[in-house]
Amino acid sequence: MRGLALIALLTVGLSGCSEAPEPSGFAGLGERVDKTGEQSYLQPGPATGLAFPADLGPHPRYRIEWWYLTANLRTESGQPLGLQWTQFRQALEPREPDAVPDPSAWPLQAAWMAHAAVSWQGEHEFAERLARGDVGNAGATARPFSVWLDHWQLDAVADRRWRLQVTAGNFAYDLTLRVSDQPVAHGINGFSAKSDSGQGSMYFSLVDIAISGTVTFQGQALEVEGRGWFDREWSSQFLKTGQKGWDWFALHLDSGDRLMAFRLREEGKPFVSGTWIPASGQIQPLTSGQLALSVVEQRDGVPVRWQIEVPEQGVSLELSAPAGDYMNRGLYPYWESPVDVSGSHTGEGYMELTGYR
Amino acid sequence: MTLFAALFSHYRRHPLQLVALALMILVATTLWSGVRQLTEQARASLSQSEQVIAGRQQVLRVDGAGLTVSDFVTLRRAGLCVMPWLEVPRQGQVGVVIGVDPLAAACFDGGGGAFDNAALRLESEPFVDIGEAVRLARESPAAERRPSLVLIASGNVTAGALPGGYRLETFARGPETGELGESFLLNLDALGVLVLLITALLLRAVYRLGIVQRRESFALLHRFGVPPARIDRWLIMELLTLSALCILPGLWLGRELAGLLGQGFGRSLQGLFDAPLYSISGQWLAPALSMMAVVLVACLADFLVPGGRRVVGSRGHGKLAGILLGLGLLLALLGPSLIWVFAAVAIVFAGAGLLIPILIYRLAERAACARADPLVRWRYRELAVMARQLALPVVALQFTFAMVLAIQALVTTFEDTFDRWLAQRLEAELYVPVPEGRSGEAAARWLAAQPELKTSGAWHRVIRGRAGVSVPGGTQTPVDVFALSPVSSLLTGWDLLASGDDPWASLAGEQAVLVNEQLARRLGLSVGDRLELQLAGQRSNLPVAGIYADYGRPAGEILINGRLLPEQFQPEFESFSISPGALSRARLRSGLESVWQVSDITLRDNEEIRDLATGVFDQTFLLTRSMTVLTLALAGLALLIMGWVFFTGRAWYFRLLATWGLSRREVAAQLTRLSVGLTGRVALLALPLGIWLTWVLVHRINPLAFGWSLPMAVYPGFWVELVGLSLLIGLGIALLMGRQLRAGVAMPASATSMTGGER
Repeated sequence: MRGLALIALLTVGLSGCSEAPEPSGFAGLGERVDKTGEQSYLQPGPATGLAFPADLGPHPRYRIEWWYLTANLRTESGQPLGLQWTQFRQALEPREPDAVPDPSAWPLQAAWMAHAAVSWQGEHEFAERLARGDVGNAGATARPFSVWLDHWQLDAVADRRWRLQVTAGNFAYDLTLRVSDQPVAHGINGFSAKSDSGQGSMYFSLVDIAISGTVTFQGQALEVEGRGWFDREWSSQFLKTGQKGWDWFALHLDSGDRLMAFRLREEGKPFVSGTWIPASGQIQPLTSGQLALSVVEQRDGVPVRWQIEVPEQGVSLELSAPAGDYMNRGLYPYWESPVDVSGSHTGEGYMELTGYR
Repeated sequence: MTLFAALFSHYRRHPLQLVALALMILVATTLWSGVRQLTEQARASLSQSEQVIAGRQQVLRVDGAGLTVSDFVTLRRAGLCVMPWLEVPRQGQVGVVIGVDPLAAACFDGGGGAFDNAALRLESEPFVDIGEAVRLARESPAAERRPSLVLIASGNVTAGALPGGYRLETFARGPETGELGESFLLNLDALGVLVLLITALLLRAVYRLGIVQRRESFALLHRFGVPPARIDRWLIMELLTLSALCILPGLWLGRELAGLLGQGFGRSLQGLFDAPLYSISGQWLAPALSMMAVVLVACLADFLVPGGRRVVGSRGHGKLAGILLGLGLLLALLGPSLIWVFAAVAIVFAGAGLLIPILIYRLAERAACARADPLVRWRYRELAVMARQLALPVVALQFTFAMVLAIQALVTTFEDTFDRWLAQRLEAELYVPVPEGRSGEAAARWLAAQPELKTSGAWHRVIRGRAGVSVPGGTQTPVDVFALSPVSSLLTGWDLLASGDDPWASLAGEQAVLVNEQLARRLGLSVGDRLELQLAGQRSNLPVAGIYADYGRPAGEILINGRLLPEQFQPEFESFSISPGALSRARLRSGLESVWQVSDITLRDNEEIRDLATGVFDQTFLLTRSMTVLTLALAGLALLIMGWVFFTGRAWYFRLLATWGLSRREVAAQLTRLSVGLTGRVALLALPLGIWLTWVLVHRINPLAFGWSLPMAVYPGFWVELVGLSLLIGLGIALLMGRQLRAGVAMPASATSMTGGER
């Protein structure tokens, strides 16, 4: 789900036309796809299904996709440290996976964007990189698993062990990721609906990744450990006109349960969806009747405290972002912050909010 | 009848005069604003491209090989912020497009630079997406040089951060042509200002003619009680209205003219300085006001300058002229930069402008004193008066003659040199580019095996690419390398600016290189100097065996033997020059097609290329030629009309000649000798100035402005033409006067004109 607005706006920027992005950021995406040859992009659906490890790699027949890692880490002295790494692919024209264009022609079939951020002690550093696809400095492969943009890269270094390296202006990280769980498919067989009218995306997550390594923050090297949440999502069209932004949450509860929840804001009733991932037992997709999200408090126009309820599971959580400004001020600003969880359960997690500025 | 109607009635009686005034303002506005628009536009283009790249550095391969997309990937994956930059000539149009990758440019933000997003928005000329630029490059004819990829580094990329095999260098779009481009434009500006000056004189001549003819009406109006100040105000109003009515369409026509000449001009700019010409944005107000001011000053100078100060010929002027000439000549010889040389030209011209009327005046006075024949004495005295009274148009004509003479010499020399150069470069009958992905080596083997070529033909292979050269202790300069093999008879006829003993044999023996003039000037090379050469990572040290002229391009260039190329050298382009001799073209075609396994190779007749190049050359100099011819015509016309006006004012005296007993024919003969004597002297005195200006253009301005020199040549045949033209102008004045005298002469228009006060 995440990153959709960024991708949509990137498209506008790349198209080279004078068309200004709509105020809501992403709401015109559905229309734009209709006008620019929707037929040639594949559309995901409940019957699409997931395939591993292929789905860790790119999907050039689809229009948009991303690899998204958020992590709640702790330094040696026990201080919490939040971390994000994301890479987006935006196709400008669809192609077959093996029809790789000649790099010397500087093809522009796809654009890539990578974001990295570290949040520590109320401070937030963010960096962004852009690249054109198929030239060589940005891309992704499923086997061996690798996602890179310039010198930022996530690579499989051994079975179920990945290495993530990022060096930006004011921060850097070099982390080892140990993937212990199986992918969690959201929605129906991995098809996650994004509106009542059928738009949606293919979406799975690795929700329990053990992370360790070094984070250099404003010149200070910090040894860190903790856990992360990795999302893979791709689609060609799943937003409908009128949707203004979204609020997304990925939570690790101390009980061992995990919760993914999101809300798409639109006129009238927002579209709400999520996944309850118990410590043991059956994964349960959540629909609007089973999941409620509400804002408790805003900070400078951004909702920083939330109430999330999953009555069937006896869950009533209060989420709060730590003090500070966690706006990722890249080409298209959005909020990405760690959250503390209290209420019926305690825990931690990450929150992404778009469309608020 | 209103005052305006009374004043304007003059033009009802002399409608041609009104039409002439209007046309002159219109034509002058068109010419001047057209040239101005071109130069402004070119300046904006130069500054736009300079601004985008200001202070930037580029990454180059240490081995001198051309950059490819894989170099870009290597550098980006090393974490360096670099962006691609590919300049591609517009097909069939003026200028270039610059291919950039806006996504790669994103990291330049905040990196200290000019690469803000606004500068690189794809919709803003001349930037396009690099993929589009590559497509355009691939669509261009095979004969054209393939554009080279440049990788520009952001400000925070340091030499230490570069991976091995790469180095940093300041990024410049052409080889330091910024100042050269500006100089070229300065030349054009000077030409434009000269046109304006000549036009102003012409306007003044026609307007004064009208004023002389209207003096009686003014006197009559004055007698009817109209104060002279009011008449003056109405005259200014009349002039303002006329100017406004003519200047606006003139500006529009100037814009059209700029559009018309833009293509040739753009090619000049591109060819000479690698600076593209971008789109035009016209200005109206400033040129309109400037032109209006010129018209007013030219026509109403009499109101502004007190009469006593307009007399020339004083001793002080002579001294001043001498000082100016001495200073200017010295400065032209020693001036370290172009601006000094321009200043020297201006000072010499100012000196000559002061000196020539004085010289004619003094010589005529002296000649008058030395002669006993009263008629001859009268004629010389009259010539002396004319030299003073007609000082302005005389000087203008002299300047124009000098300028036309110098520019004609320069352009003709350039044309001759260019023709000879082109003939040498296109000595072979055919030009065959090697198709992409095919082996030039295989084709060379096939050609070497053809007995007909051995006995009756000649051929060589040309491999073009990039290399680095340096002089001992100097930094490396990237150059275009032309690797030739074998060194055929098609090459050995080239004229060399400087050479050692048998340079072609040294080249054939892989013992030396040849360099072009631009590189020799830039690195201060002369024959025998040793050059450190870096070809695809391989270093060699060879002497310079010769320096050849290369008038078309500003880039540094070297010629080497093809056998010196290391295997890893990446050619940018390969071709063959072939004079097939007894080998038929069909056989040559089929042979090469079979070697290359392609169905249709390009076999270009060099005669076609020569025609194309000559066409481009002609278009390039169309602007200069048309400006000089127009200026000459305007100056000639100005002198003709001024002379006529002056003679009209003195007709009363000429009439006295008849009173003294001369027949009408004899009076006409005296007038003819007088006027032809004046214009002939002007032309003769312009010759030294013209020859000096030619020398300055060839030996001082051209090398400083364009980076190459031309042989100095003078064309006495053209001098004769110019002198002939000046005599024709003199005859024209005499003819007009003859008619005037036959038509009867009015009394002198003022009391002073009766007293001979002009003397």
